[in-house]
Amino acid sequence: MTGDSGGTTPNAVAATALGVDDVTGPRGAPLLRHVSLSVPRGGSHVVLGPMHSGKSTLLRLVLGLDRAESGRVTIDGSTFDAAHATEDQLRQVRRRVGVVFDSSALVSRLTLLENVTLPLAEHMTVGADQARATATGLLHDVGVSGDLERTPDKLTRLDRRRAALARALVLEPAVLLVDEPGNGLDPHAAAELDETMQTLHERYRCGILICSQEVRYAFHWPSAVSVLANGRIVEQGSLDDLLNSRHEAVRRFVDRRGAA
Amino acid sequence: MLRSAYWLASLLAPQPPERPTPVTASVARELDVLGFGAIRLVAASALLVGLITIFQAAYQLAPYGAEVVSARALAWFVAREIGPIVVAILVVARSAAAIAGEFASMAANGEIDALRVMGLDPVKYLVVPKLAALLIALPTLTAIAIMLAVIGGWLGMSVILGYNTGLFLEYMHESLAARDVGVGLAKSVLFASIIGIVAADEGLRVERRVSAIGAAATRSVVYCLLGVLGADTAVNAFVYFIPGLT
Repeated sequence: MTGDSGGTTPNAVAATALGVDDVTGPRGAPLLRHVSLSVPRGGSHVVLGPMHSGKSTLLRLVLGLDRAESGRVTIDGSTFDAAHATEDQLRQVRRRVGVVFDSSALVSRLTLLENVTLPLAEHMTVGADQARATATGLLHDVGVSGDLERTPDKLTRLDRRRAALARALVLEPAVLLVDEPGNGLDPHAAAELDETMQTLHERYRCGILICSQEVRYAFHWPSAVSVLANGRIVEQGSLDDLLNSRHEAVRRFVDRRGAA
Repeated sequence: MLRSAYWLASLLAPQPPERPTPVTASVARELDVLGFGAIRLVAASALLVGLITIFQAAYQLAPYGAEVVSARALAWFVAREIGPIVVAILVVARSAAAIAGEFASMAANGEIDALRVMGLDPVKYLVVPKLAALLIALPTLTAIAIMLAVIGGWLGMSVILGYNTGLFLEYMHESLAARDVGVGLAKSVLFASIIGIVAADEGLRVERRVSAIGAAATRSVVYCLLGVLGADTAVNAFVYFIPGLT
């Protein structure tokens, strides 16, 4: 099943945590062309693709970090023009998105605890003690223990990724975007992080979009799968659709990675 | 620049004690790095500059039998010119590349994007703490530098050249006006703004590439030095041409 599922009718919008509708970009040098997908509330969507297929670019376009040439994005019921959204519009919708970047992107000059309390301090009217308690609880939930006053450079890669997950969830977003969750992690650590993500996904009931080059995420998060190749979605549907696909790029990708 | 000014002003607004902004904590941290961390370098340099100034002035004035007048030259130049400019150049050498490199590295690592995605203004959380720390540190370091340059001058004059300490102090008292010190400190505030804004701008505007970090650091030092020297020239011209200020 190839094509788009990014309808933006009122009912579809209301049930959609994230909708990407016919997005082409970035502006000037489009790497992605006519990409559409959706993540239902509480559901998941895995975008698979080899390196440089446009997965990270897709996240940057969704977040407005890069401008699209055309297309629309819906986040938690609010739709904006990905090519012409204002900074105010983007600021409003970004508050409903949690992001785990492939590099974790924790602020290196802040401690672990400050990294997680920062969004609370900015967006919520909570006291410092309550913010610390919330952040400590969340860091405990994702499995980070020990001294929370450490800076990120003193953490293992897995703990950095976990802390980034805690930071992404601290404002209880409608949708969580995760870029290459297993990047740089050994298989055991990657599986541990995946387990944590699944537990927290069930608890927070947010939509989750995972971009990865590892096909195993399609097995662990089976709601919907898209395969990106050369900037286009060449396959979209269920896990079965993916496994039964005859598309050459999909077969090459699944056969090579699936055995691992 | 306007955003920096806005967030700086917001730092001065009263904050509820139970909800302190993380920016305030960052200012203290930056003050430690950019201010306290530079004290030894500034102190040693100022002492040596004081000595050098006295030696040069005494050498030039010796043929006229006016070596002792060197103290006047020291007082005038140290407060208005040498103190603020030496401190600014030392801070540029020590911190401008570090600031630009840190921000460029954060950009390459996706940290700036992460802040933007969380709805946090990088100017507020990254630039303003450094700018506020520089605005406190530079005038303080300049005051320390003026004091130590005078001590260096006294060492040169009294201990090495053998002039009377009382005479040195008398000339100092006559020549070192509070207004001179005020001009020097005002310059240091201007230099702090230039260093903070130029270095931060060079660091934040780079592309997300590791190779861009070194180039950003180099550019920041060059532009900060040119900015400081240009501003110093402009201030001197301005002060010189307004009667009553010289």
